[in-house]
Amino acid sequence: MKQILKYFSSGAEFIAATMLAAMFLTFLLQIFSRYVLLTPFGWTLELCLILWVWIVFFGCAFLTRERDHVTFDIFYLASPRRVRQAMALIACAAIVIGMAWALPATWDYIDWMKIRKTTTVKNPFTGAKIPIRTIFSIYAIFMVAVILRYAWRFVDVLRNGPPDEDHEIPGHEPDPPHIRHGDDAT
Amino acid sequence: MSIELLVCLITLFGLAGIGTPIGYSIMIAAVAYLGLAGLDVALTGEKILQGLYKSFVLLAVPLFITAANIMNAGTISDRLLNFCIAAVGRFRGGLGHVNVMASLIFSGMSGSAVADAAGIGKIIIEMMSKDGRYTRGYAAAITAATATIGPIIPPSIPMVLYALVSNASIGALFLAGVVPGLIMGVVLMGMNAWISTRRGFAKEEPVPLKNLPKITINAFPALLMPVILLYGIYGGVTTPTEAAGVAAFYALILAGLFYRALSVKSLYRIFVESARSSAAVGVVIGGALILNFIIISENIPGMMSEILTELDIHPLVFLLAVNLLVLFLGCVLDATTIILVIVPLFIPTCQALGIDLVHFGVLIVVNSMIGLITPPYGILLFVINAVTGIPLKEIIGEIWSFLAILIGALLLMILVPDIVLWLPRLFGYQG
Repeated sequence: MKQILKYFSSGAEFIAATMLAAMFLTFLLQIFSRYVLLTPFGWTLELCLILWVWIVFFGCAFLTRERDHVTFDIFYLASPRRVRQAMALIACAAIVIGMAWALPATWDYIDWMKIRKTTTVKNPFTGAKIPIRTIFSIYAIFMVAVILRYAWRFVDVLRNGPPDEDHEIPGHEPDPPHIRHGDDAT
Repeated sequence: MSIELLVCLITLFGLAGIGTPIGYSIMIAAVAYLGLAGLDVALTGEKILQGLYKSFVLLAVPLFITAANIMNAGTISDRLLNFCIAAVGRFRGGLGHVNVMASLIFSGMSGSAVADAAGIGKIIIEMMSKDGRYTRGYAAAITAATATIGPIIPPSIPMVLYALVSNASIGALFLAGVVPGLIMGVVLMGMNAWISTRRGFAKEEPVPLKNLPKITINAFPALLMPVILLYGIYGGVTTPTEAAGVAAFYALILAGLFYRALSVKSLYRIFVESARSSAAVGVVIGGALILNFIIISENIPGMMSEILTELDIHPLVFLLAVNLLVLFLGCVLDATTIILVIVPLFIPTCQALGIDLVHFGVLIVVNSMIGLITPPYGILLFVINAVTGIPLKEIIGEIWSFLAILIGALLLMILVPDIVLWLPRLFGYQG
């Protein structure tokens, strides 16, 4: 089980990193087309926006850990363990209920968006424009993933109590990347 | 106020208050609001998706995050540091000055205070507290204080977020941050010089002047970065969002090819971590989009603006009051949350009172950056505590004088709008 989870999360990391790299390259391509070729490609901008939407919701579904999120945790951290457990349980339950409530209607909306298509980005294999439904479907995936994750967390907190490492560094910043120290710096 | 709005706010503050991720708290509160108001609950997803999918400006956020991470991982920050030591290390309180100067230059690239503190800040703290020349707490405190300059000097992620909620011009906002950022640098250097003399902190071994050219040349490509960015934006060559892309690209070229300090593996980790933080910020931005939709459909900002204009409040009193509020909120809330969720409430009032939105934006960003170092909930304090292990108590004990001088600088910017607006006007900003 642990092994599967590990493969899964490194797979998610790979996909997210690829999307970000692709967005970065597309963006550079756009600048290049605009200022060097003087004929903007057009599709680059839309592709960047598609990737941005996907990075956010794919990332939140499969990549962000609890401690990566922007949270307000003064009260949480100041509370005794029992209270913390209750807080974490309420938070999980609210997320699961709220997301599950909105899911059917939201899927209706996303499904309805199949009538709208991208304006410039085309499927490279068929040459057809992509329905917005395909692009927005990541939001439905995100909702399902969040429901499952927090339902699991609910059970986990109920059984094992509130995890301690979730609020180590407040805020959303990543672990500081490794800084090289060395003589080559001068 | 309608009952559904009340429920929405109670849900929001209730959930956020017990440590639920802010982005999710807003989404759940929005679903509760829409459900009770008899509206389609799918509006939450619709507004978030449409908002993110249409906003070209927001692409700057992941790009700046990536650029900052690349800069921290390569040796770019080390080179800049050596340059700063050679330039200002010889004076009393030298490493403190180096700290300020490094933040000023580095902030011209990263746009993120936390990146400043965790990256270059960590190295300086180690240098300062080695041999006990400075107390650990002092080293950490000045590093936290100088890191607040990061998002004031362009490029700046908080300013991109402010532009999103206020529709103020990003170009003008970026320009408007330059002078205030320099002022903050100057007052911090002044405070450092004063404290260092009074407490007799040691001087550095001056770097021989004959080495200066070599060190400068070594750091030169990195020093060029802010110039490229500013020229790109204000020379009318690129839009600020495109400049974010160029910045990331330039950092990549520098670290990867020129300085050869970036392996493929570390680049991969940079992309993973950048995607992770982009997602975490993105979901709060998404939440802000739906929350703003709700408060606008309830006409809250309009009502506030009506009440405040009827009271015939002087714009200056309003500015002072809002800044006091934000300063207070900054003690407990994250800057992203303040800018995306609280600030939109005041935008219509600003317009009604004739307050310039660029001026207002810079004040808010400066203010919420000061909030990053205000106890009890200053994120920069926590980050430095986490990366260096210096106890929070020691950092907080030393932070007060820097906090006071920064608030003084903020007050000056409130009272004299020209400090903020002079530079953008010089470049043709009408306002």
